[in-house]
Amino acid sequence: MNLPSFILKNALRNKRRALLSVLSVAMSLFLLVTLQVALRELTNPINDEGSSLRIIVRNKVSLAQPLPARQLQTIDRIPGIVAVTPFSFYGGLYKGDEKFTSFAQFAVDPQRSLPLISDAKGVTKEQLEAWIADRTSCILGKMTADRYGLKVGDRMQFTGQIYPCDLELKIAGIYYGTADDRNLMFHQKYLDELLGNPGTVGTWWLLAASIAEAPLVTDRINKAFANTSAEVRAESERAFVLGFVSMWANIKTLISGISIVVVFALILVTVSTMSMAIRERFRELAILKAIGFKRRELFVLILAESFGLAMFGALLGAGGAWALFNNINIQKMTNGMFLMFEVTPQMLGLAFAVAALLGLLSALLPMINVARTSVVQGLKTLD
Amino acid sequence: MALPLNYSFRNALVRWRSTIATVLGIALVVFVFVLLQSLAAGIEKSSSNTGDPRNIMVVRKGSTAESASLISRQTLTEIRYFEEIARNENGEPIISADVLVLASLPRRDNSGEANVLLRGVTARGMELRPQVKLAAGRWFEAGKREIVVSAKLAKRFANFGIGQSFKTGSATFTVVGWLDGGGSAFDSECWLDADECRSTFERDMYSSFLIRPTDEAAGEKLITRIEADRRFKLKAEKEVEYYRKQTMTAAPIKWLGGFLAVMMSVGAVFAAMNTMYAAVGARTREIGTLRVLGFRRRAVVAALLLEGGLLALVGGVLGCAIAFYWNGYTTATMGMETFSEIVFEFRVTPKLVLEGLAFAVIVGLIGTLFPAIRAARLPVISALKSI
Amino acid sequence: MSANIVTIRNLSKIYQQGDINVTALDNISLDIASGEFLALMGPSGSGKSTLLHIIAGIDRPTNGECRVQDIDVAKLNESQLADWRNQNVGFVFQTFNLIPVLTAYENVELPLLLTRMNRAERRKQVEIALEIVGLADRAKHLPKQLSGGQEQRVAIARALVTDPALVVADEPTGNLDSHSAQEVLGVLRTLSRDAGKTVIMVTHDPKAAAFGSRQIHLEKGELSK
Repeated sequence: MNLPSFILKNALRNKRRALLSVLSVAMSLFLLVTLQVALRELTNPINDEGSSLRIIVRNKVSLAQPLPARQLQTIDRIPGIVAVTPFSFYGGLYKGDEKFTSFAQFAVDPQRSLPLISDAKGVTKEQLEAWIADRTSCILGKMTADRYGLKVGDRMQFTGQIYPCDLELKIAGIYYGTADDRNLMFHQKYLDELLGNPGTVGTWWLLAASIAEAPLVTDRINKAFANTSAEVRAESERAFVLGFVSMWANIKTLISGISIVVVFALILVTVSTMSMAIRERFRELAILKAIGFKRRELFVLILAESFGLAMFGALLGAGGAWALFNNINIQKMTNGMFLMFEVTPQMLGLAFAVAALLGLLSALLPMINVARTSVVQGLKTLD
Repeated sequence: MALPLNYSFRNALVRWRSTIATVLGIALVVFVFVLLQSLAAGIEKSSSNTGDPRNIMVVRKGSTAESASLISRQTLTEIRYFEEIARNENGEPIISADVLVLASLPRRDNSGEANVLLRGVTARGMELRPQVKLAAGRWFEAGKREIVVSAKLAKRFANFGIGQSFKTGSATFTVVGWLDGGGSAFDSECWLDADECRSTFERDMYSSFLIRPTDEAAGEKLITRIEADRRFKLKAEKEVEYYRKQTMTAAPIKWLGGFLAVMMSVGAVFAAMNTMYAAVGARTREIGTLRVLGFRRRAVVAALLLEGGLLALVGGVLGCAIAFYWNGYTTATMGMETFSEIVFEFRVTPKLVLEGLAFAVIVGLIGTLFPAIRAARLPVISALKSI
Repeated sequence: MSANIVTIRNLSKIYQQGDINVTALDNISLDIASGEFLALMGPSGSGKSTLLHIIAGIDRPTNGECRVQDIDVAKLNESQLADWRNQNVGFVFQTFNLIPVLTAYENVELPLLLTRMNRAERRKQVEIALEIVGLADRAKHLPKQLSGGQEQRVAIARALVTDPALVVADEPTGNLDSHSAQEVLGVLRTLSRDAGKTVIMVTHDPKAAAFGSRQIHLEKGELSK
């Protein structure tokens, strides 16, 4: 026997209690990681280089207010822009869904949109040409196609929730490899036709020539339409998404506040039970002291035990969350509300830091008691 | 014979350190549960609080909300003279064709912009919504770029003070009054003249109709008549029904509340079990003695369950009390239907309090059950031998 | 080194119990010779355990001095005291106080973990100690698998294993039946007679005290004989 094995034997002395302690630590850290992941997903938009290059132009009043189609001629003349297309959020209810459709449908000018979707893979040249040629066709993200078991050539029906028209679209191609492989894109012309050519679009979507050029482009666009009947707000795709986040308002703060309470509650309870486990062996600690164990050595014994249990819990809870979220289809489970659900190294780091703190705190009370109590007092305590 | 209540109570006090931790832990679990549910309750309450049971709301079929609905002017002229619609003293049909516009406006604390729901409303529309009162200032005048904002929104958005003005699109509106929706969904709206609204935002279409039928039966008839007409593609229902269904925002919060509650309570049960196992372990001899004295197994189990349930109940009461601190506190988020900022209050309802308490007691009882059974199963002799 | 292993001069111990001062030991002077088996007798509350604790270095006197092997124990700090106990004193308690999760062998080995001995050296020491108490065949047993007498003999082996000059025993037979008590007392006597250890045993049982080479009585904190 040596000291580490003595520590291990002590920790496992009451197997049920050790298990319960480890499980409650694991549970609290699993929750911590889950909340962190969810919060990150809600507040931190996808951040690739492209999202700074791509620009969204909306009506200054709000996203819901349409823009005149004639603005295109003005935008076409603005320097620093590689491509521009109408980009109208159709927001229809897919026939297979009852209440809520998790993927977006955008009306675009297919020819003009090609540079903007250059990162999309899986669509052949012929399919792209077929899409451009057939105004009732669309291209669809692979995630959505997989979810509903759709393939090229299938037809999809939509009920308009924002626009007063329904759609029937033929799938010309299925793409993947973009930041969001759920969306569907179809012809703005087709939408215009169904609406009786109102001469409006939802937003403009454009590609800046370079990252350096992007802020200049947004400035130029904002200025070009200042003091017209339809003033615009141009911003990078990233800034646009961040704008959504700000609309969540107090809920965001509330959820982060609650995750702190959650973790605090479970730590409180766990620390109490774990330190109780050591407090109960007070008499034994006094005996160890009598036969020559020094304070320092007893501290090591106590700390190693609670630290070990906490770390094991962290391994189970945080590691479990990591393994779970890496291996399940979170998109399917949450109806597309969450896309990535990625556990970052920082979150794992946080979970282990919390576990370390927990181990330390659980050891603290018994350690203070051991330091304070003399051997004689310790021997007198019965339990 | 049962053990006296005092036995359970005093035992909980003896282990005060772990007792406090357990009570606080359960209190926090209940707090999180009640708080999140009260948030959802607040959203639902503000929806269900809205509307007049006599009114009929008409929107385009397929629209999730008024703000996403479009109805042509021609439809108005056709529906306007349906005989089911009541007339006022001047013989005009009581129907209000509203225009809803989302305006992205800056917040007061410079934390970015959020959508605000602007309602272009007619005199009829105001008569049909008597629950909306003027809180300060005056109503807007027709033909002027004046606006009355919700007093609750005024606390959250820049330039919403009476006399101040803000620009949206190409127009500048002057705030002339604050409205009070009486805890309804109207507390999240700003009202302006319907014609002014249509011209400013270049809206040719209406968003919704609000109609007062002559009586209940006429209302039913009107609903059938509008829905059956294939030309319109409209959806008609009672105004209160329409608002009651606006629960998309509350649903995920409820779900989150439930999820957290379940996960946390599992953790809390583990902890409570640990505490009670330890309590039983430390009292083995005492329990043996009780058995020798003639107390039955079920008396021991009952006393321990009582102890655990009591602890949890105290935690539950504490948790509800902390959550109650937020009762009536106004907060806001983005409404999932209107896509605009909705203001509502935390509502800690009696039902939620009861649910919270029941929840706590269940956690306490589950946590105690196994340790209690273990205590009861201990053979009397071994209990007495153990030191 | 003097022939006396323990020299006690004018030793007093006063406890504070609330507002009342309780005199546990009152001006005691005592010499204990090396190799003695001393039985400390007296009724409950006579201060015999306190005296034992002070000699063993787990309690400190209020006044006076207690020298063990010419070292004034009270002058050592906590950490020195711990080392000193480890090397010079073996403890035997009334309630055995074995660590329940460790086997007999591991319990005996425990004090050696604090020394620089390697595994093989420790093994040798533990085996000798178990041999002396006659339990070499029970090395792998857990405390709960042993009888009370056996448990106490393991505790004695644990006290012996560091080869201390002094073995202190506080009511070692208090929890044992008379047969087991005889065994344990026999082992203690062997220690002083054959192994040259000084054994100090607190007891209130005259039969147990009879095993000692000398008996002294404490009454209300004073030596009565």
